[in-house]
Amino acid sequence: MEPAEAEFLAEKELVTIVPSFSMDRVHLIGGDLGPFNPGLPVEVPVWLAINLKQRQKCRLIPPAWMDVEKLEEIRDQERKEDTFTPMPSPYYMELTKLLLNYASDNIPKADEIRTLVKDTWDTRMAKLRLSADSFVRQQEAHAKLDNLTLMEINTIGTFLTQALDHMYKLRTNLQPSGSAESQDF
Amino acid sequence: MAEAYFPVGPGLGPEENFLSLDDILMSQEKLPGRAESNLPRLAFALGQGSGAGSGDSIPEGSKLEIPMWLAKGLHDSKRRLISVELPKIYKEAWRTVFSADANVVDLHKMGPYYYGFGSQLLNFDNPENPEIAQCILQTFINRFRRIMDSSQNAYNEDTSSLVARLDELERALFQAGQKGLNDFQCWEKGQASQITVSSLVQNYGKRKFTEMDG
Repeated sequence: MEPAEAEFLAEKELVTIVPSFSMDRVHLIGGDLGPFNPGLPVEVPVWLAINLKQRQKCRLIPPAWMDVEKLEEIRDQERKEDTFTPMPSPYYMELTKLLLNYASDNIPKADEIRTLVKDTWDTRMAKLRLSADSFVRQQEAHAKLDNLTLMEINTIGTFLTQALDHMYKLRTNLQPSGSAESQDF
Repeated sequence: MAEAYFPVGPGLGPEENFLSLDDILMSQEKLPGRAESNLPRLAFALGQGSGAGSGDSIPEGSKLEIPMWLAKGLHDSKRRLISVELPKIYKEAWRTVFSADANVVDLHKMGPYYYGFGSQLLNFDNPENPEIAQCILQTFINRFRRIMDSSQNAYNEDTSSLVARLDELERALFQAGQKGLNDFQCWEKGQASQITVSSLVQNYGKRKFTEMDG
């Protein structure tokens, strides 16, 4: 899967906006999008929020976790723990990128938020690499990692699965081959 | 970007992949060996042209350098045509070097197909086979960390110094790691939604119509 696909899946998450137009309830296949009244907050999927924001028809309200103190707490907790801490949203990286690119004027201290999220990302990736290395080194058959997000899995996925494939083939070399198929002539 | 061309990877077990280019190149690597019986009229083929009589037979017991594909074909425990020895990097001395620290070895110089060639060597009955197999596996495991770290952290840099000491299998892994990193960075910069030229087509220069005549 590519990062763009992960971003596409992330756009289904709900975010609060304050529209500046009015419209009745819209019935879409995925669900209803509630009636829009100017000045009243309403929850919509991110894809719609970004679109409306680009057309200057709404104002975005950042999600509760996108706040400097909260993110500092999350980052410090991530650094303390050896395992992965649960993230406020399974798509935190994608949402950060989308919201900060398109709606940075609605989000206070956007640059600090970007830095904090990047720090958390770096810590998690380092933990992921450490655990991948110990997994390979001890030749375990099974590993369980909680609280990983899709984007992190994507970035390291291809590399790790290929390396494990190679290791598996090299391991089957250790067993002496049972059936020697040779043609005598 | 989604790949349009998937090359066939090398088979790492006792059998190689017939269609894999890596395996074809790997089996061209030479092994030291000896002729166990007289091989008439094969002197020119096995590179002994300047030896005893041009184009004549190879006497019994003479030392040869045989490519792997030929060694596998001629190897037979009943009709002893040739016997093979292990190349020096699979021998005891180098095995201890690998077990001490696998990261310092320049695997590209030691035959760019260390893992593939080593796996093929297990085909020949040799009392040291289990140790060789174990050594190859341990080398891979020990070098894995460095490949992972270097491939996932070198963005937009010249990586030639990082890959110089890796063999072909490790280089392919390095590419995979780089690709993951590059895709992520490119997405983060917002370039993932820009339309770019496919890598397969990028090298087609514009050919003028007049060039195609005659």
